[in-house]
Amino acid sequence: MAGPYNGLRVVDTTGLAGAYATRLFAGLGAEVIRLEPPDGSPLRYLAPFAESIAPPENSLWWSYLAMGTRSVVIEPDNKDSLAQILSSADVIFEDRLPEDSLISPDLLPDTTVRTSIVPFGLTGPKRSWKSSNLVAWAASGVLYATGFRDRAPVAPAGHVQLALHASAASALVGTLLALRARRKSGEGQQVEISMQEAALAIAPETGVPVFLDDRVHRERSGNRRDLGRPFGLYPCSDGFVSIIVLLPRHWTAMASWVAEATGNETITEEVFEDLGVRMETQDLIDTWVEELTVGQSRQELFQEGQRRGIPVTPVNTVNALLDDPHLKAARFWSETQLPDGSSVAVPGAPFRTNADWWTMTAAPLLGQHTEFYLG
Amino acid sequence: MTNPAIELPLEGIRVFELGTAIASPFCGRLMAHYGADVLKIESQVSPDVVRILGSAWLKDRDDLAAAAPDTSPYVPEMNASKRSVGLELKTTAGRNAALALIAECDVFLANFGARALAELGLDYEAVSAVNPKIVYVQLPGFGSDPDMPYYSYVAWGPNQAPLVGFDDFTGHASDPPAGIATVAPPDYMSALHAAVATLSGLEHLELTGDGVHVDVSQFETTLALLGPFVMDYDLSGTVHSRIGNRSLWGAPQGVYPCAGHERWIAISATDNESWDVLASLMELPDDHFDDPDLRLAQQEQLDSQIGTWTVNFDADDLAHRLQSVGVAAHVVSTNEDLLHDTHTMSRNWYQVAPHARLGRDVFSDCAVKLKGTPGRWTDAGPSLAQHTREVLRDVAGMSDEEISQLVADKGAFEQLEPETLVPRPWDDWIHLLVPGTADARDL
Repeated sequence: MAGPYNGLRVVDTTGLAGAYATRLFAGLGAEVIRLEPPDGSPLRYLAPFAESIAPPENSLWWSYLAMGTRSVVIEPDNKDSLAQILSSADVIFEDRLPEDSLISPDLLPDTTVRTSIVPFGLTGPKRSWKSSNLVAWAASGVLYATGFRDRAPVAPAGHVQLALHASAASALVGTLLALRARRKSGEGQQVEISMQEAALAIAPETGVPVFLDDRVHRERSGNRRDLGRPFGLYPCSDGFVSIIVLLPRHWTAMASWVAEATGNETITEEVFEDLGVRMETQDLIDTWVEELTVGQSRQELFQEGQRRGIPVTPVNTVNALLDDPHLKAARFWSETQLPDGSSVAVPGAPFRTNADWWTMTAAPLLGQHTEFYLG
Repeated sequence: MTNPAIELPLEGIRVFELGTAIASPFCGRLMAHYGADVLKIESQVSPDVVRILGSAWLKDRDDLAAAAPDTSPYVPEMNASKRSVGLELKTTAGRNAALALIAECDVFLANFGARALAELGLDYEAVSAVNPKIVYVQLPGFGSDPDMPYYSYVAWGPNQAPLVGFDDFTGHASDPPAGIATVAPPDYMSALHAAVATLSGLEHLELTGDGVHVDVSQFETTLALLGPFVMDYDLSGTVHSRIGNRSLWGAPQGVYPCAGHERWIAISATDNESWDVLASLMELPDDHFDDPDLRLAQQEQLDSQIGTWTVNFDADDLAHRLQSVGVAAHVVSTNEDLLHDTHTMSRNWYQVAPHARLGRDVFSDCAVKLKGTPGRWTDAGPSLAQHTREVLRDVAGMSDEEISQLVADKGAFEQLEPETLVPRPWDDWIHLLVPGTADARDL
């Protein structure tokens, strides 16, 4: 069958704040119309770009996040066309406060679900504050706790824009819930996502309820954490691996591995089975573990560590992911067509079903569907 | 406040949840908030991580050992409004009781490893044999196909972020990767995708009358967030990696020092409008940086100039000043800042609900807000196995004698020492954190 949201009409007026949501929605069958101003969505101006293609069709953010959607261009003062498109919308995604929106409530049927993704929510003293991925992380407590102690704090996964994607994914969940409520009530409603709250929600580790309990001021601890040893990132011949040893059986396996690989018999002594002792001698433990890791590659350490039942993973770089044997065997990577006809690798469906929901098409050209909807 | 006249979107939906730590519990909590009856199936033999964590203030209180599993602040963060059912699935009797519950559920949700689920006899084939209409959503680290290379690999929270490239993207360009050890975005992103999958599955069921199997392989799911970087590597061979707090789209964007120890401000002024305002506030002597390309090309110089200006200000004052003229900025909040954040407080981000062991407890709200059908928090718990008897009786239709026999046979267990009540030490001043909550001294 087609996706479960086949037949549903969704209008997206957002930039990055909602783009991941409507991409998923389109993959699940919804008809997603991206309303663009004449010079194109802000997404079209985001690097990196495809060198062989001219603007405004060259942004890879657009080529990825607008996949499966349709592009309709409307002049900002063309109220009739706007009203025409909105009159049949089941859902509209917005990233503006009501007072800044071009869409007055009377343009929307009572049955429309209106999903607003805004920096600090629709209410409260900071409701008109601006945001960005970085600012959202700053307001969540996560930024302060990430990075090396002697350096400025850094946002998790920096320009991957995780805080915005979390906002978008939360917005889609809210929208699907509102559609379910509509099935019962026959009415649409307002769905509200505060980007600050979307970041707070996915980080209770640095949030107030946990802090009330342990009263521990969350310091940055670099790429190792004082929860155990070895615990964190360790250098290897082609980058870093992550090793997380907490459980006794993981330590026993880890110590034998180091001993076999480096001839260090001391590490297998019983005294180090005590987590407290390993924390007190953490520099020594780290040095011994590094003697094992520095000579081998990420994949070698990953395979052998996992064979021994230890939670070891590579610190993957983008190029390594495209070569990953599991993703290849699972046929995860898909491809899409760029406007010049070239094919490029993209992530495949974010989850798999036995019902064949997921469908995707290439991102639309600017105004590609204007004629179809307004002609 | 809950309005009983409003029917919530998931009212009438029952979820059988086999979750541990974050990925599936966080999804289940969202569903419980919006009206689903979420049955959290728990074990004493191999408890959920949040049951082991306990609470810092109860450490070394052996006299309260029975209460400890209910006291971690992560219990409500991941499980508020669910019902807890104590079943030992490795016993035949316990598994049979589970199957009886599954027959009465609409959704099966689990983040146990795929192999562990299969070994429990609760993979999709087994569960759909009992309930063909089940929406079965599982979140294994590496998918549920035993023929795939990493099927049996050990995957948990702190290890997913490095695996999917997030750690490599974290840190300043000249430093080693800083990693994301403190938080676990892949778990939460998987949970949100699982919620999308579950709601889609329920829609599928309405449309077709059929159940469905969804495999949220966390490795694959989180990679869906790396699209543009994967494409650029495939097209041009560029390997994108960490660039600190900077942006590819404009400058300045960064974290800058402010007055005081470890006080920082985050500023995004990447478009010309924001930059003009920032530059005039900084009273720059010339228009050298008015060219956006130059700002991008000379970020080192630009950032250091901004840093020598910001360091003169209180971080929060400066954020207010910048926002008042339209520049995106915020103090880099510490736990202490969050505790005093009047904005989140005005939005009731921290919630209070009854708790069988603690009397009441405080926890974070849900970021997904529906104005017409707002969610509800019925319970800040649940206590471990608090609802075993009522669920087996009311949902599985077992008699009290049968339940007692099941408990005696160690196929199920009930809450330990329900009479042991331990209020949080900070219960007295919850009213300061959560507006509208009763002062404990008046209770």
